[in-house]
Amino acid sequence: MIRIENVTKVYRNGEIQLTALKGVSLHVKPGEFVAVMGPSGCGKSTLMNLLGCLDSITSGKYILNGKDVSTLSGNELAYIRNKEIGFVFQSFNLLPRMTILENVELPMVYAGVPARERRARALEALARVDLSERIKHRPSEISGGQRQRVAIARAIVNKPSVILADEPTGNLDTKVTVEIMRIIQQLNDEGVTVLMVTHEPDVANYAKRIVRMKDGCIIDDYPVQNRTVL
Amino acid sequence: MNLMENVKMALASIWSNKMRSFLTMLGIIIGISSVIAVVSLGQGGQHTITGEFEKIGANTVLITVDSSKAELSDYITLEDVKQLKEKVPYIRYATPVFQVQGQANSRLKSKRAYIIGGTSDLYQVDNIELAYGRFYNDAEYEEGKPVAIISNSAAKSLFKMEDVVGMTLDIGSDFAKKSFTVIGVVKNQIEMFSDMTNEDNLPAIIYMPATTLKQLFGMYGATTQVYIVADSKENIESAGNLAVKLLENRHGNRGREIYKAEPLMKQLDQINNVLGIFTTFVAAVAAISLLVGGVGVMNIMLVSVTERTREIGIRKAIGARTGHILFQFLTESVIISCIGGILGLIFGIAGAYGLGSIAGISPYISPGTVIIAILFSSAVGIFFGIYPARKAARLDPIEALRYE
Ligand SMILES: Nc1ncnc2c1ncn2[C@@H]1O[C@H](COP(=O)(O)OP(=O)(O)OP(=O)(O)O)[C@@H](O)[C@H]1O
Ligand SMILES: [Mg+2]
Repeated sequence: MIRIENVTKVYRNGEIQLTALKGVSLHVKPGEFVAVMGPSGCGKSTLMNLLGCLDSITSGKYILNGKDVSTLSGNELAYIRNKEIGFVFQSFNLLPRMTILENVELPMVYAGVPARERRARALEALARVDLSERIKHRPSEISGGQRQRVAIARAIVNKPSVILADEPTGNLDTKVTVEIMRIIQQLNDEGVTVLMVTHEPDVANYAKRIVRMKDGCIIDDYPVQNRTVL
Repeated sequence: MNLMENVKMALASIWSNKMRSFLTMLGIIIGISSVIAVVSLGQGGQHTITGEFEKIGANTVLITVDSSKAELSDYITLEDVKQLKEKVPYIRYATPVFQVQGQANSRLKSKRAYIIGGTSDLYQVDNIELAYGRFYNDAEYEEGKPVAIISNSAAKSLFKMEDVVGMTLDIGSDFAKKSFTVIGVVKNQIEMFSDMTNEDNLPAIIYMPATTLKQLFGMYGATTQVYIVADSKENIESAGNLAVKLLENRHGNRGREIYKAEPLMKQLDQINNVLGIFTTFVAAVAAISLLVGGVGVMNIMLVSVTERTREIGIRKAIGARTGHILFQFLTESVIISCIGGILGLIFGIAGAYGLGSIAGISPYISPGTVIIAILFSSAVGIFFGIYPARKAARLDPIEALRYE
């Protein structure tokens, strides 16, 4: 499913070079639920962006679903982001001028799904995150928890094999966090592979496996004991 | 992703920024509307003039005497006119036009008169329309009969009635007057005038045979202007040239270039040419404002791309390809320009009618003008939209997502 080998990422800002990932190797099998933890600035988001084909690796190898991603062009990567990957961001990243329904439909617009089917599938995805009301509203008119559920609906609407969530509950309170985690666990139970960055041990405990990072390296990787199941 | 989707998205984005979108369009609106107004007024003017000329006669040639070179013996006599018509094969009608100021007295009233004399062909050459009676014929011309055709307003003013055929009228100068029989009444060409102005103030317009006019005023009976009408468009040139040749033969003044034949349509071409050049020039100046409008569109689209960097990042993150983003922004700039173009078209047409009614020109809006206006504004949208759209499409997804 996901296999990276000895991946490095170097950010260049003029003269200054910063090595955010220093040879990271990771293997994630289908159906896994991995929590990535580590101190701020250790390279968690960098790793997620690379896995999500939003950014290119500096060296190493990245195989996604058997395909070597490091050699693909920008448009081929866009295709993969559209079909194989669902993103959930800390700051939701919904389009403010579109309605919730339109936001969820958007990945299918880029996939070329006909309008009628789009509507049906968007409603289905919204139902799966327990959001069937207020779908004609704009993101600014609903709560943070609801926004994140919309973002999850948008992430799953093209039926990706992987969901990448970078601190999905970072902006949410405890009660809402539990709701979001229940949805993510459900998706995982249905077979979707999940990688999730989090700072909170409680949230990491919903996952099946924890990867710990420090200074651009993976320092620990272990299955979760006494997993919280909702 | 289809066109409709893009158009919907673009309209939504334009609508969400109504004021700014309108201001962006303003340059295009001003550009297109001024081009449309200028061109349709110019074309309207050409049409009006062409119409006037065609009423007078598309096949009419004006023969003139160059009075700076001519001696009295070179002037065109009534006999010359007769010969022109008889000897030159292509000439259908020929008439001199004498114009004299005089007086007309009925039993009721005395009036200033504007007297026009010609052959019986004047009827066709001048395209005269009669309300009552008839025009004078060849026999009356030959014999110099005292017959007159008077204007409708003159009939009302002199006789207090309209159909005055058969009435008698004294026509002439203060020194010599003669009794005429009215044989025809001219339809009022401009109805509006007779209603608005008191017809008593208008001079009486009177047509009579040139032969009669010559006797009445004791004139020498030669003129510097003769109108001939060719039998077809193809023969206009030949008729004019042959007429000049015949006149030169009759007056024995070949080589002095006394006579000149000028088809009225040629004058029309010249006028239309000048008008066309003028229209093109003014339209070109107006088109520059369209370019300025285009730069405005580009400017706002660049601002919009920067403002929406994060949106572009989000779109790319969920799978938008370069082409999707490019097309999205291009659609937006084309729609802005096109709406501007359509509004400009409407304002331009309204402006043309407004200005036209002041200037007395009825504007002519050709389908070509409309199509070119729309195509041109779309072209402006594409041309000035391509750079901002490419800029948007090339944004790095992760950089764009990080943009605050
Ligand atoms: N675009 C960039 N240009 C230069 N340096 C960057 C860029 N993005 C991240 N970095 C640097 O790379 C390192 C890793 O950053 P990253 O965002 O991956 O950390 P993180 O683990 O997600 O931190 P946090 O928990 O605060 O989100 C940091 O030192 C950061 O400053
Ligand atoms: Mg981070």
